[in-house]
Amino acid sequence: MCEWEDREELERERRRWEETTLQRNLERLGLKESPVKLYTPLDVKRKKYMERLGFPGEYPFTRGTYAVPIAATPYGGDTMGVRPAAGVYAGYGTAEDTRDLWRKERRRGANVAFDLPTQCGYDSDHPMAEGEVGRVGVAIDTLADFETLYEAFDGITTLDRMASNFTINAPCNIILAMYFALAEKKGVPWNKLRGTPQNDILKEFAARGTYIFPPKPSMRMVRDTITFCHKYAPEMNVISICGYHMREAGATEVQASGFTFAHAIAYVQLGVDAGLDVDEFIPRFTFLDFGGGMDFWREIARARANRRIWARIMRERFGAKNPRSWIMRGGDSIFVGPSCYTLQRPLNNLIRGVIGGIASYLATGFGTGGVPWDEPLGLGHSYEARQLTLDATRIMRFEAKLGQVIDPLAGSYFVEALTDQVEEEIWEVIRKVDEIGGAVEAIETGYTIREIARSAYEQQRQIETGERVVVGVNMFTGENEIEVIPPRLLPHPYDPQHLESAEERQKAKLKKIKGERDQAQVNMALKAIRKAAKNENENLIPYFIDAVKAYCTIGEICDVLRDVFGVWEPKGIV
Amino acid sequence: MTEQRPIRVLIAKPGLDGHDRGAKVVALGLRDAGFEVIYSGIRRSPAEIAEEALQEDVDVVGLSSLSGAHRTLFPRVVEELRKRGLHDVLVIGGGLIPPEDIPYLREKGIAEVFLPGTLVSDIAKFIREHVGGERSSHGK
Repeated sequence: MCEWEDREELERERRRWEETTLQRNLERLGLKESPVKLYTPLDVKRKKYMERLGFPGEYPFTRGTYAVPIAATPYGGDTMGVRPAAGVYAGYGTAEDTRDLWRKERRRGANVAFDLPTQCGYDSDHPMAEGEVGRVGVAIDTLADFETLYEAFDGITTLDRMASNFTINAPCNIILAMYFALAEKKGVPWNKLRGTPQNDILKEFAARGTYIFPPKPSMRMVRDTITFCHKYAPEMNVISICGYHMREAGATEVQASGFTFAHAIAYVQLGVDAGLDVDEFIPRFTFLDFGGGMDFWREIARARANRRIWARIMRERFGAKNPRSWIMRGGDSIFVGPSCYTLQRPLNNLIRGVIGGIASYLATGFGTGGVPWDEPLGLGHSYEARQLTLDATRIMRFEAKLGQVIDPLAGSYFVEALTDQVEEEIWEVIRKVDEIGGAVEAIETGYTIREIARSAYEQQRQIETGERVVVGVNMFTGENEIEVIPPRLLPHPYDPQHLESAEERQKAKLKKIKGERDQAQVNMALKAIRKAAKNENENLIPYFIDAVKAYCTIGEICDVLRDVFGVWEPKGIV
Repeated sequence: MTEQRPIRVLIAKPGLDGHDRGAKVVALGLRDAGFEVIYSGIRRSPAEIAEEALQEDVDVVGLSSLSGAHRTLFPRVVEELRKRGLHDVLVIGGGLIPPEDIPYLREKGIAEVFLPGTLVSDIAKFIREHVGGERSSHGK
């Protein structure tokens, strides 16, 4: 960046150093080549500072999303993003079980984990739901379950004063319809509702697997969210675009970023094609995160590059004029994902999480201790593991004072060179998807899925051959090592007996609701959905609202849509 | 001397869990290790898996689940296989499975459970040791 010397002179000096000092050192150590790399001003592109880096909170955002990261302020609290406004992601068993837990914890926001039948659009009594009801989240079949769930906040807060996060994708708009119906019943206007549905269906096809309908009608439903919320619920975020799941499924850091941006481009295009002004709807787009791995320096470079790439996509590709539209909201953190965690000597995972947290601090101005160390031991984290994660976060912030300086590595020959390199690699993925015809086509042809599977397999191959070291798994496993397995004495608060009986209780409740509702009204609402679904231009959300108010089940609504849209069967999966 | 056909393996995802990185990696790894491998794709019912095992005449069924439904679904797959007369098919499992569940799964006919961190080469070795030389076609 800064030119200290004449470039040619520096090149001469570098060659001299290699031939003398370095060479002598290598000979003394008996090495042919150096195991460490050196960067100098020669490795940094000669570009203008303001163009490549600028200032935090300003284009191109290389140095930070905001001038002051929220976590560095007193409002950041001592947990700094570990506990989002909506509370920790949770949900299990029936709506009653989750309601009781939330009440006990005095929660002030809903960050809902749904069970897999709900996420896949099956009712709890569907044969495919067997064994899965209430397992990874709360079971929701009808609006009655939703009403029960939100009783957790009775006397504590109201819908207009709280935020709700819904980790739901394929049936997202049905869940949103329940939220709108609930607000209506409680007399809260829709324009006062705040929340974030995940709604990132493309990454479901690419990695997470809870898709239902083919990509095109699925994207139509995302469009419905964008246009409906734009008009009636402008404080609601419409999507939380995720790289994390693709990363966890095996994507490299470059692929995770590249595919995430390719997906984001497809979502922005939906709003543009619906005739909305990009500067008006983009502020309601958010990113979850891009995941993270153990390759410390590349993660840092990637996080810096991500901000620059998104700013350029919004400004140059979509012509957004409002500087707010160039900001990557959310997603600006590094987070070592549980696919880096090991079952063997599991306390090592705390160290892995902290390394991600340090990388995050250096690249984004804040970081956390990551996922609790006991993640691989089974579903649910112990209280001790959660405590360690929180303390790790606090030690990084308050003892090590990692957040004192924003973007402290800027100007490093190495970090700037690597940021440029990683950025170019990510653009290459985006260009490749563009060539295929866009993110939807890349999914339909199986390209994205195959690329991710190939990377996953390559990583495993490297572990098997020892090229990639995983401490305690493929290396350092000899007799002299101690298999450290700390006890977990304060188990996860999910009641195992409730978990066991959830399926039966939920099926009984569903049967009761079905018996009590007005069947004529149900049939009418489902018929209206069928008709509207056939017309691509119709927004389905108003029809979903009518249907959930009549206590139609998620399964019934999805069955109608399955009939009209078809179901997605991926091809060429491995 | 009769010519031995390669061992045929069905890697399957019962239930609704979509986390199939492990399933795919094991499928690709076993294929490279000389097995004939079929991957079911995600979201298969126990009956669908058993039916595919029958149709594909496999020697091994490898089940993967990360959602916590293994206690219900793995034994159901074994039941469905037995219903179709597939008594010799070796059933193995893997995923995010608490070690305390393993004895229960063994009792229900899951020959071995492979936990995170397992090398595919170890799975290959286990299969070779447990699918014997007397292997023959299931009489299609």
